[in-house]
Amino acid sequence: MDTPRLRKNLPLVALLLPALLMVGLLFVYPLLFSLAYAFRNEGTGGWDLSNFTKAFALYGADVSLTIGVTLLSTALVGVLAVAVAGYLTLGENPRAVAVLRWIYRWPMFIPFVVAAQLMRTFLAKSGMLNNTLMSLGLIEPLNAMSLLDWRGVVVTFVWKQLPFAALLIAGAMASMDRSLMESARGLGAGRLRILIEIVLPQVSATVWVSLILSFVTMLSALSVPMMIIAGTPTMITVDMAWRVNSYGDYGVANALGFISFALSGAAAWFYLRQGVREGGKPA
Amino acid sequence: MKRLHRTLVVSALMTLGVLSGSANAQVTLNVISGGSQNMVDYVTDYLGPLFEKQNPGVKVSVVGTGPDDAGSQKMLEKLLAQKNAGLAVWDTDVIVPNQQKTGEMVKEGLLMKYRDSIPTGKYAISQSAKQALGVNVDGYVMPMFESQTALAYNPDLIKTPPSSFDELRAFVAKNPKSFGYNGLKGGMSGVAFVVGWMYAYGGNPEVIQQGPYDQKALAGWDKAFSELKAFNQQVVFTPGNAGTLDMLNRGEIAMGPVWVDMFQTWKAEGRLAPNLKLKILSPGMPGQPYYYAIPAKAKNVELAKKFIALATSPEVQAEGIVKRFNWYPGIDANVVKPALDTKTWNQLFVDVTPEDLAKNAKPFPLAPFFKDMREQYEAKVQN
Repeated sequence: MDTPRLRKNLPLVALLLPALLMVGLLFVYPLLFSLAYAFRNEGTGGWDLSNFTKAFALYGADVSLTIGVTLLSTALVGVLAVAVAGYLTLGENPRAVAVLRWIYRWPMFIPFVVAAQLMRTFLAKSGMLNNTLMSLGLIEPLNAMSLLDWRGVVVTFVWKQLPFAALLIAGAMASMDRSLMESARGLGAGRLRILIEIVLPQVSATVWVSLILSFVTMLSALSVPMMIIAGTPTMITVDMAWRVNSYGDYGVANALGFISFALSGAAAWFYLRQGVREGGKPA
Repeated sequence: MKRLHRTLVVSALMTLGVLSGSANAQVTLNVISGGSQNMVDYVTDYLGPLFEKQNPGVKVSVVGTGPDDAGSQKMLEKLLAQKNAGLAVWDTDVIVPNQQKTGEMVKEGLLMKYRDSIPTGKYAISQSAKQALGVNVDGYVMPMFESQTALAYNPDLIKTPPSSFDELRAFVAKNPKSFGYNGLKGGMSGVAFVVGWMYAYGGNPEVIQQGPYDQKALAGWDKAFSELKAFNQQVVFTPGNAGTLDMLNRGEIAMGPVWVDMFQTWKAEGRLAPNLKLKILSPGMPGQPYYYAIPAKAKNVELAKKFIALATSPEVQAEGIVKRFNWYPGIDANVVKPALDTKTWNQLFVDVTPEDLAKNAKPFPLAPFFKDMREQYEAKVQN
């Protein structure tokens, strides 16, 4: 870079600096600090893997559950969001489309903790869901069971993240050139086929982005597993809070944080690889 | 020049006047309270206004940090940060922490020894006013109230409730899924049940409660934990302290461990079926106090002492702690009793009698035993 160009860019750098400092000091520094201290052994004062050994010994099942629940929720969010967005784009009953468009965003305005509280009464053994099913005669009172475990978490996550993903995907679908869809229609293709073979490939980048953002959001939610899962296994955010609050043990909490960071890092890697494979910058 | 000087002097005086005037008119006493929302409400709705009325120009500002160790851990971190930063004056005047974290704060040198300098100090006679899970806190704390866990049960579903852990096990073996508790991570009533179980079956309860800490006292734990693991197969897990009460109320479980004060308050508010009852299982279930303490470098020390003296006076303990919030008094019950009508006093002890409390109310374990107990539960019962 030659000097005049540097001089020209100086104001730009100066304008960026406060934001960079802010991110650096308040985000990057604590992040690196906590990642590094995952390897700190407070007992001996040295650096080793003892925190990870303990984390896996005590919470190995919770790590698997976290991965399973988040992946399953992400997959369900993907399928349902594509279905909702597809109907919004290709639906032929204007009234149904209008109603769906109006109603599907609602959960987005409800915070995780409130959603969890709603589900606590909705999914309980004698909660609203089971009571409704019983009064419809669909299940017997004796067979009613509480869904307040990992299933409740999946239900809450999907309910909460679906509108976010659907909003992004529907936006991308709406901005597509409609002529392809219409010509396919004219040649006699069904709506499902148009959705899968024509629309979906064109919006796949947006689908990935929305799913990866949903995955990371769900991975970091503390309130939902805390309020919904009774007993064990639970998700690792709960274990992290527990280590800090009950034992003042930041080492194992940091190790769990490291695992969580590795999981979201893996998601980011898939996302970037997808972008490279498509030969361009990630969307 | 002279005139300029005079102007400067006058304006300087005025500034001083304004500053000192405002200091007289408004001092803020900063209180941080752990515990559930009801403990914050206690200060905002009752104690704070009472103190402000008695001390014109003082404003009581209270912040809640939440229940269990988590809430009190936040206070510890706040004070420790100010200590490590080398500040001469800290921004908090009164704290209301739980037992475990109070012990840690005393060990870190974050608290002030004040009890003997306030008039109500002599009423702090309970064991918990001297020891917090094995840490000597004598002089640093005044108990705000004592809280107790007990077994809540639905007499429509259970005619004769179990009165000991043995009877509970026998009952649950015959009636699986009739008993529910919130495990270890879902709040202190679940932790209390685990502690009670270990007192009953783990051996050496006196050593676990009184110390000294010795790994040998853990000899019987493996067996007790494996029995608890088997017992857990026959119970229902509930989501949190409130979750146990909710499930009792909906009839999904017939009994479960709860906090007595929470149970009484919910009942008084009509949030629980009026027929539900309480019982403390023998050989004992744990309870805990919350404390009033003053940070070592609090700004308004004298006001803080005055505030705590009011909060621990027999009248306030009677009206606020017992009558309005259904807690057991933190100070000597004998000086509280005369300040209350007989009806309220009897209501407090309707299911759990003073004799039950004397016999079966236990402290939580010594801090290092407590840590071992929770970690071993995680390793041996949950895995």
